[in-house]
Amino acid sequence: MDEILVLAEHRQGELRDITFEMLFAANTLGKENGLATAGLLLGHETSGLAGKLKGACDRVLVIEDPELAHYNADQYLMALETAVKDRKPLLTLIGHTAMGMDLAPAMAARLCLPLVTDCVELSLEEGRLGVLRQIYGGKINAQLVMKPSDHYLISLRTGAFDAEVEQGKSGDVETIPAPAWTNLRGRQFAGADILVSIGRGIGKPENIPLAQKFADAIGATLSCSRPVADEEWLPKSRQVGTSGKTVRPKVYIALGISGAYQHQAGMKNADTIIAVNKDPMAPIFAIAHYGIVEDLLQVLPVLTEHLATK
Amino acid sequence: MNIVVCVKQVPEVTDAELEINREGTEILKEDLEFDINEWDNYAVEEAVLIKEAHGGKVTVVTLGDEDCEDVLRTALAMGADEAIRIDEQGFEFSDAAGIAQGLYHAVRDVPFDLLLTGAQGSDDGWAQVGLTLAELLGISYASLVVGVEIGEGTITVHRELESNTQEKVEMPLPAALTIQTGINNPRYVSIMGIQKVRRIEIKETGSKELGLSEAEIGSQGSSVASQKLSLPPVGEGAEILTGSLDEICEKTAQIIRDKGGVM
Amino acid sequence: MDFTLSKEQRDIVRAARKFSLGEFPDRALEFDRDEAFDLDLWRRACELGFVGVFIDQAYNGAGMGYLEHCLITEEFWAADPGIGQAILSCTFGSEVLLLFGSKDQKQLILPQLVTGKAIIATAITEPDAGSDVTSATTAAVRHRDEWVINGSKMFTTNGNLATYILFFCRTDPRNPSRHERHSFILVPTDTPGFKAKKIHGKMGIRASDTAEISLSNVRVPFTSLVGKEGAGFHQLMAFFDRTRLHICAQAVGLARASLEESIRHTKERTQFGATLASFQVTQFKIAEMATRIKAAKNLYYEAAWSLDQGTIDPALIAMAKWFSAEAALQCADEAVQMHGGYGYIDEYKVNRLYRAAKILEIYEGTKEMEKTIIARSLLG
Repeated sequence: MDEILVLAEHRQGELRDITFEMLFAANTLGKENGLATAGLLLGHETSGLAGKLKGACDRVLVIEDPELAHYNADQYLMALETAVKDRKPLLTLIGHTAMGMDLAPAMAARLCLPLVTDCVELSLEEGRLGVLRQIYGGKINAQLVMKPSDHYLISLRTGAFDAEVEQGKSGDVETIPAPAWTNLRGRQFAGADILVSIGRGIGKPENIPLAQKFADAIGATLSCSRPVADEEWLPKSRQVGTSGKTVRPKVYIALGISGAYQHQAGMKNADTIIAVNKDPMAPIFAIAHYGIVEDLLQVLPVLTEHLATK
Repeated sequence: MNIVVCVKQVPEVTDAELEINREGTEILKEDLEFDINEWDNYAVEEAVLIKEAHGGKVTVVTLGDEDCEDVLRTALAMGADEAIRIDEQGFEFSDAAGIAQGLYHAVRDVPFDLLLTGAQGSDDGWAQVGLTLAELLGISYASLVVGVEIGEGTITVHRELESNTQEKVEMPLPAALTIQTGINNPRYVSIMGIQKVRRIEIKETGSKELGLSEAEIGSQGSSVASQKLSLPPVGEGAEILTGSLDEICEKTAQIIRDKGGVM
Repeated sequence: MDFTLSKEQRDIVRAARKFSLGEFPDRALEFDRDEAFDLDLWRRACELGFVGVFIDQAYNGAGMGYLEHCLITEEFWAADPGIGQAILSCTFGSEVLLLFGSKDQKQLILPQLVTGKAIIATAITEPDAGSDVTSATTAAVRHRDEWVINGSKMFTTNGNLATYILFFCRTDPRNPSRHERHSFILVPTDTPGFKAKKIHGKMGIRASDTAEISLSNVRVPFTSLVGKEGAGFHQLMAFFDRTRLHICAQAVGLARASLEESIRHTKERTQFGATLASFQVTQFKIAEMATRIKAAKNLYYEAAWSLDQGTIDPALIAMAKWFSAEAALQCADEAVQMHGGYGYIDEYKVNRLYRAAKILEIYEGTKEMEKTIIARSLLG
C-alpha cells in the first residue's frame, strides 16, 4: 500500500529509457506522498540490470527464471501477478510500449484493477489518483480523477517523463520466487528480426536512391510512409504502419513531411526531431527541434557526404 | 476459420479544429464526420483476407448508437457476413473495461477461432478493449499485430515493437489479436458490396438483453470518477538552421551524431 | 417532404468519396499538365462498381437510378473534375442504348461498359452544328444491308479511346420536319474509314479525352441503327434529359470542392494579423457559396429523383443544369479570389476547379439553350 511498483523494461540486455522515465515519475510522486519505489525486474540472468536499477529506486525486486528470458505475455502476467500479490503496491507503473500495451489490459482484467493507459502526468491527492492523458491524436488533453482504489495500474507514455533520473538511492535487491508455470495459454516467443528505420514521402521514385544512400550512411534501413508504399515506390513490406502509435527513436529525421497532425502524434516524442521541408510554413517545424528550409533533394547528398567523411 | 471483429465508429479529427463543450466533458461533434476507427478498418480487412484464404465466416460487432450501424455496413460491404450492434444505452461514460464487458457478453456465445480488434481507438486511445476481452474470454492473445500466418490449430503473428523491430509469437487457437495499422491495404467499399448488405439483417442487442447490471457498466462500472477536457498548449517551434547549404548540412550532421542518430 | 438520402445512398456516397479521395489527388496535377489519363484508374472504378450504376442488372449493372450515378459523380468531381470526367464519361451513350437500343445491342455493349472492357462515346456536335443539332450533316446512306457514313464530328468525349461510338447522323435529309431527319447509328471504332484525332489545349478537365472525328465511307450493318429511323432528335432530347443531370452533379461536386478549399485556406492563411476567415468579406463569400451549393443540390436532387420515379420534366432539368453550372462557376471564381496569387498557379486545386468549371455551361446544352427550354415551358 505504501509502494509504487515499476515494471522495468529491458531488451537485449539493456534497460530501456521508459524504465527510468517511470522511475522518475515514481520517485517524484513517492517523495511528495511518502511512498517508496520498487523496480521490478523480470527476466533471466538479470544481475547486471539489477545493478543499474539500484541507484534509482528504494528497492529492486527480481523474479529470475529461464521462462522469462524473452518477453512473453503468458509468463510475464503470471510473474507480475506474483509480485503484485507479494508487495500489494498502491500503484503499479508499466510503460505504454509494445510490451506494456500487451500486458497491462490483461493484467487489469485478471486482477480486477482500475487501469489508465498512456498517461503523461500523474498526481495523488488524498489517496486519489489523478492522471493526464492526451486523446484524439494529441489534440485534446483529458484530466482524469480516478475512483478510490487500493491498487491502480497505470501505463505511462514514452517520453512523457525525464529519463535522467537521480541516482542517489541504493535499493536492496530482493528476490521473489518465480511462480509455478501452470495454466499457461501456450503463447510462445518465436523470434525477433530487425526491420526498418527512417524515411517518408520524397517526391518521386527516382529520388529514392538519394534517401537510401543517406540511410546507409547512418546505418538505418530505409522505410516509408503509407503514400510511398501505395505508390509502390518501395515495397509494402517497408511501410512502417505507425500512424497512431508513439515511437521514440533517438533521432527522427522527417524528409519532406509537412507534418499532418496524425503524423505528429506518432513521432513527436522523439528526443530530437530534424525536419527538412522547402515550405517554411510546414506544420512539422512547429514540433521539430531543428529545421532545414531547403529542398531535401539538395540537402541529402551534401548531408550524406558530411556523415560519410567523419 | 470463423472470425469476430470488434469495430468502433469515431469522429475524424485529423483535419478538424476541435472544440470542447462548456462543461469540459466532451468535444463538440456536430460538425465532425464519422468513420470506422482506422485500426479497426485494418482488422476488418485482415479478417476478410483470412476468410478468403481459409473459408469461414466473419462477424462484426460494435457498441454504439443507431448511427454506428454505418461502420457495420461498411464492414459487411468489405466482406464480413454478419453484424451485431450493441446499443449504447447504459454504456454511456463506460471506461474501456465497461465496453469490454459489453462486447464480451455479446461475443461469448458466437463460435470463433479468431477475435480481432484494432490496436487502439483514434479517439480515446485506451488500447485496452481487445486484450481485456481476451482475458475475459480466457484465450491467448497478441497485441500490435502486423502480420498473421495461420497454422494447424495455431497461429503465428508478428508484433510491432519499438525502433521498427518486430517479434514473432506463436499461440494456439482460439486467440485474440489487436491489429496495428499497415498490416494490409484495406480495400475500398464497392457498389456490389453495398448491394450485398441489403440482404443482411443487423442483429441488435443491448445491456439488458446481455444481462449486464448498472454496476458493471456505464459511469457506475467505470473506475474513472471524472474527466475534464482541455486544449493542449502550442509548442515553441523549431530552431531554423541557417547558412550556406554546406554549413547547414555540416551542423545537421553534427546534431545527428551528438544525439545518437548514427548506428 | 424528405430530403435525406437512404442508408444505401449514404453508403454509396461514402464509398465514392473514399475511393476518389484515396486515388485522385496524387495524380490530378500530372494528368492536368500532360493532358493524359491512366486507364487503370477507370478499370479500378469499374471493378468497384462505380461506373454505370444505372445500367440494368440484366446487363451486369447495379440497376440503380440516375440519382445514385449523380451521387458518385458529385464525389468524383469534388475530388478532381478531370479524373471524375475521365472515368464516368466512359458510359456516355449507354443511356441511349438503355432507352432505345435493341436487345442485341444492349447485350453486346452494356456489360462491357460496366466491367471495364469497353468505352462508349456519343458524337453529336459538328464543326458547323453545335446547339443547333438538327443542322448536323454527317450523312448515313442506306446501301443494301449497310449504312455508309460520311462526315465529321467535333469535341467528341473519349473519341480516341472509345470502343463504340454512337453517331448522330442525318438519314433523311428531305423529311419536312427538321426533327425527323436524324438517327443514331452505332459504329465500332475499328471499322475502316473511322479516324479520330486528339484535340489538345482544352482549358480544363484535361484528363478527359476529346477528339475530332472523320468518317469516310464507314460501312456498318443496317442493324447498327438505334431504335427507329428518323427518331434521332427525340432520342437525343431524352438522352440529354438524363445526362444533363449528371452535369448538375459535376457542378455541385466542383462547387463543393471550391468551398472546401476556400474554408481550409482562409482558416489557415493570416493577413493583417488575422485569418482571412475572420474578415466579414470572406465570411459572406463562404456563406454565399454554401447557399448556392445547397440550392443547386436540392434542385437537381428533385429533378433526378423525379426522373427515377418516371416523371420527366425537361424544364426542371434545364433549370437544374443552368443553375448548378452557374453556381459552380461562381464558387470556383470566389475560391481562386480567396486564394489570391496561389490560386493562379496550377499546383493549387482551385486553379483546376476554376478552369474545369466553364465547360459546365457549354457541354450537353449551353446555358442559353437551357434558358430557351425553360422559357418555352412557360411561354409556349
